[in-house]
Amino acid sequence: MKNRLRMLRAERSWSQADLADKLGVSRQSINAIETGRFDPSLPLAFKLARLFHLPIESIFSD
Amino acid sequence: MLLCNKNLTPLQRRSVQRMGAALLLTVVTNLSTPSLPNPFRDLIPGLSQLANSHAHSSALFVAVLSALSVLPVLLAVWVAARYLAAEPDEFIRALVVKALLWGFAVTMAGNAVAGVLMNIYSRPFPLSLLSADLFFASSLIAFRILQWSYQ
Repeated sequence: MKNRLRMLRAERSWSQADLADKLGVSRQSINAIETGRFDPSLPLAFKLARLFHLPIESIFSD
Repeated sequence: MLLCNKNLTPLQRRSVQRMGAALLLTVVTNLSTPSLPNPFRDLIPGLSQLANSHAHSSALFVAVLSALSVLPVLLAVWVAARYLAAEPDEFIRALVVKALLWGFAVTMAGNAVAGVLMNIYSRPFPLSLLSADLFFASSLIAFRILQWSYQ
């Protein structure tokens, strides 16, 4: 699954650690999601969508 | 220590300590190897006497004695289950499950090798100790390697 997480994060000048803190996960989780090596669960995807004020489908695509 | 550094969360540190306790309990409950230090036997002279004469003990006593060895296994499973239930980070949870599977695989492989060696040389070996050590060490190493691969 592809995602625009890195771009969205860069737009807000957040580091991976910043985003990880906001979501309550580890920095490795953010790195793994950004690189497409780990697909987040639906609850975490919703958290991301709420954080960026975007629908899930505009962040993630297959 | 490389494997138990300061990057561990309090939950992870607590779980590693509990796993360590399970490892120690494996030594304590390994009553079949008289040469190993064992507080059960050392502190309770009666138990020591009975443990050293398995052949003359009742079947019930031997059953109870061997059932004691299940304690560290149950403790280790309980620690892993508690940790997985409490870990809030789903990615770390996935890594831990992978690491535990690696630990399980290495333990099974180690047991298979030890079994063949015991048969060839007709010598008993404290398999529960080997399994506990292998499982604990290989799971920790696998977790660190997996974590490192996602840096």
